[in-house]
Amino acid sequence: MAYKPQYYPGATSVAANRRKHMSGDVEKLREISDDDLTMILGHRPAGSDYRSTHPPLAEMGEPECSIRQTVEPTPGAKAGDRVRYVQFVDSMYNGPSVPYFRSYGAAIKFRGVDPGTLSGRQVVEARERDMEEVAKFQIETEMFDPALSSLRGATVHGHSLRLQEDGVMFDMLDRARLEDDGIVKMHKDQVGRPIDKKVQLGKPMSAKEAAKRTTIYRVDNVAYRSDKEVIEWVHRVFDQRTKYGFKPE
Amino acid sequence: MSDTSSDTTKHLQLEIVPQRLLRPETAQGLLNEILDLEGVVRLFVHGPRLPGTVPYGPAKGTPLVHDSRRLIEIEGKTVELMVSVGSIRLEVTDADVKEQVHEICEKILPFPFEFREGNFMLRRQTVSGYARFGPDQDPLLVGITDPKGKLKDQVCFIKDE
Repeated sequence: MAYKPQYYPGATSVAANRRKHMSGDVEKLREISDDDLTMILGHRPAGSDYRSTHPPLAEMGEPECSIRQTVEPTPGAKAGDRVRYVQFVDSMYNGPSVPYFRSYGAAIKFRGVDPGTLSGRQVVEARERDMEEVAKFQIETEMFDPALSSLRGATVHGHSLRLQEDGVMFDMLDRARLEDDGIVKMHKDQVGRPIDKKVQLGKPMSAKEAAKRTTIYRVDNVAYRSDKEVIEWVHRVFDQRTKYGFKPE
Repeated sequence: MSDTSSDTTKHLQLEIVPQRLLRPETAQGLLNEILDLEGVVRLFVHGPRLPGTVPYGPAKGTPLVHDSRRLIEIEGKTVELMVSVGSIRLEVTDADVKEQVHEICEKILPFPFEFREGNFMLRRQTVSGYARFGPDQDPLLVGITDPKGKLKDQVCFIKDE
């Protein structure tokens, strides 16, 4: 029987969503064009060529190396792209993902990425076109909600604040707004520089839908303590780690 | 140090914490209704700051027009809202006014809110406040401003008396 990764224990909806995010088996909910994505990332003008930091690998004449022969370079590395970042922020009010599961998702599904996990934000560094692939995947799927998550290169503190009256996560730099037509539109790039057009991110999820798709345990939704299997495994990990670390001389 | 207590009559201090950050229109409506009451001594709004320019990052210095940073009209005076209103702390004269404030909140706020009584503003000058403002500071201003900030940016005198 072929090995099937189990990813995460637990019987609740939150545990199931965590498994989905880790495995990359997530539902696609929206589309974003390449130009729109480039615009909101803000690393280069939309439609321009990728800037490179070294010549394409094929032209460089690489040294004889068994590892280089075994591992296929990613498209970005092959072309010599610069390393660039995308940073996501998820609200604590049933945001769709959390930094750890974005990192697991990026590291398990994609190659050549360097995910950085912080308390309120999650950054992925990679060659530019590889990074764009990760960003596009996460924005287009249920790992993103226009109201409860956001692309923020700087000023991320809204993740832990109460939501605004319209249900959108607070953003000091006001990068995205819920407009009268019910669609969240981004009019600045991820660090707060105005962009030429409004990029549509789609309709926000309803509160019920967000609670269903979240990967956050909360006492007012799915309580962590209610997931017996997760608690059992967390105890087991802590127990074994403690015993392993205990080294009487 | 002279007695700089602002509250020799033991005014009640209240805090209103709505479940959501208020839109300027809602904040304006709520503040106006509260300030229409007789017996509100002083009040301040609290919440995440809305700066006029991007404060840090690659876009530092870029002018920033936040949707919530607007001019609102409070009791006929125009005030620039420099924070997204997250909570309101106020000092009232007695328990009757407290009840009226609670009724106003229930009427205006479309979502749940916390409403509590406690100590939310200074009742006496601190040492740094004394060093900055001296012994003759208006007792109403005690604890209302940051000793290091500029008075005109932080305080609005609604009633002239």
